[in-house]
Amino acid sequence: MQILEIFSSKLPVGENLVIKKSRFEPNSKLQTPKRISIVSGIHGDELEGQYVTYLLAAWLKKNPQAIRGTIDIYPGINTLGIDSITRGFPLYEVDLNRVFPGGEDDFLPGQLVHALALDVQGSDIAIDIHSSNIFLREIPQIRINKEFSNATLPLAKELNCDFIWIHDAVTVLEATFSHTLNTMGTKTLVVEMGVGMRLTQEYGLQLLKGILNLMQKEGIIQTDEVFEVREPFSSEVGDVFYLNSPCSGLFVPALSHCDVIKKDDKIGDIVNPLDGDIFETLYAPHDGILFTLREYPVVYEGSLIARIFGGNDAKN
Amino acid sequence: MQKIEIFKITSLNREPLIVEGYFFEGSDPKAPSVAIVGAMEGKTILPLYTASKLVDFLKNSINDSKKILGNILIIPSINHYALNIHERFWPLDKTNLNMMFPGYDKGETTQRIAKKVFDTVRGYTHGIILETRDDLSTCMPYVKEFKSGFEDLEDAKKFGLKIVHYKDLKPTDTVSLQYNWQLWETKAHSIICPSTMQLQPDSDEIFEAIVNFLNKNNILQHKFLGGYESTIVANEAMQIIKTPKSGIFVPTKKIGTQVIEDEVIGKIIHALEGKVIHKILAPCNGVIACSYKNALIFENAVAFRIARNT
Ligand SMILES: [Zn+2]
Repeated sequence: MQILEIFSSKLPVGENLVIKKSRFEPNSKLQTPKRISIVSGIHGDELEGQYVTYLLAAWLKKNPQAIRGTIDIYPGINTLGIDSITRGFPLYEVDLNRVFPGGEDDFLPGQLVHALALDVQGSDIAIDIHSSNIFLREIPQIRINKEFSNATLPLAKELNCDFIWIHDAVTVLEATFSHTLNTMGTKTLVVEMGVGMRLTQEYGLQLLKGILNLMQKEGIIQTDEVFEVREPFSSEVGDVFYLNSPCSGLFVPALSHCDVIKKDDKIGDIVNPLDGDIFETLYAPHDGILFTLREYPVVYEGSLIARIFGGNDAKN
Repeated sequence: MQKIEIFKITSLNREPLIVEGYFFEGSDPKAPSVAIVGAMEGKTILPLYTASKLVDFLKNSINDSKKILGNILIIPSINHYALNIHERFWPLDKTNLNMMFPGYDKGETTQRIAKKVFDTVRGYTHGIILETRDDLSTCMPYVKEFKSGFEDLEDAKKFGLKIVHYKDLKPTDTVSLQYNWQLWETKAHSIICPSTMQLQPDSDEIFEAIVNFLNKNNILQHKFLGGYESTIVANEAMQIIKTPKSGIFVPTKKIGTQVIEDEVIGKIIHALEGKVIHKILAPCNGVIACSYKNALIFENAVAFRIARNT
């Protein structure tokens, strides 16, 4: 295993900004030219991906004889953000996942993402692990842009996630890591799971198994271990229903995340801590699986409270 | 003058946010109209100052209301919550209002705000958005015009500011107010204001430019001494000067000054040892349009942007 710097910049006062990756290759001669890149921490307040890259690096260290191809691990892209609990690039206040592909003449965040895109370029597969944000908790899911779904959907099914969400192409998302790398010819998948600023260990282990399974199927690792993965449900066979807060207040949930729910089940209350009143009680708009649930209790009118996936059968 | 409520949103702990527009009805129903949007971000002062000065000017300095020919709507701020606590974006979820257009009435809080603002300003002949730069630089006031296919450069020149920056459209620009407003057939322009947090003796320049713009478009019968003949500057004509070293940045030329090739325009000092470790030279003749605004500068950061003389 090698530790490599993919980007380095001297900060104004006695410190370097360094983005690192670890590279795992077979001990003997390279047996497959295939390469996979695992990226996390593009958003500084999302840590679930760092737990997954830890688990993966530890597995590879323990099983060096299994390695057949090249595995690059980029645990923390927004290093300054991660260490200061800042989602965007500190000071510039920009979302790094909205400045791809960047460029050498670009501002510092643009130079950084440019270096990342160039370094990952040439990989056969890339996985960009996100953990929602501090406001919402998500079950392990893959987000796929319809434009690239022919290439990426078969891979997504191997990743041991619960849900695959295929969305339409939106121009603003062309500035993301996944769109940029998919355009460059790397099959890139976005994982969303857990919640910002926390680790959800069971999700980390679940995704680890999925990544190992995908790498085994692609011949990047070879082991006798069998990785049994769950079959995800897909947005192709149903609809996503949104529940946004009708008012501002404090959200108190009435159920746990990931529950299977029925239409009109109570999801929670928006309450007034000053006088003890309940502003609104929220009910499920549809049968289905509660795959997104509000984690941060303070809400304004419009704040997302929940997303429910309702299958076709539930529609009738 | 009529105050109109554009939206009201309550909060768990703060007093409700009530955003209002100041509407001046024109005396000539056939005259073109204009809507002006001030501060969308909180760490900004000139958009707010300029818009509120316009309200005062139209209300108290135009003595004959017949001189206001076309309808004028001014919304000085749509983000008081951020301004009051020196946050740049929407204080709870840190989303940028200028990336939420055209808005969505069933969406997230800032999408709903954007929708209400957009519904209010749609249909005006001209639109003016007061912004500041979204990177760590400050600049001379200029007009930013996207290559959207709907832009009107001749109209943009009527402000009489030195530069109209004619900018390639990025994916993230498609959710900005300017782009969406143009899509709905308003001649919308952004004026990029200097990012200063303090008012300067020349802070009224943008206010005067807007009044002259309204005058040239037959919306208002009043004008100040003439501005400049604007130069259209495309991306290719904007020279980027980066610093190869990080440290303490000392600009030695002011924004807006003409510089000549190889002239020293700034220096970088070692942050711990004080010695000059790099001198920044002008790579061409031109005017300094933008400069990094903080004293501590990153390696390879853009220190200056020079609009090349043609
Ligand atoms: Zn993320």
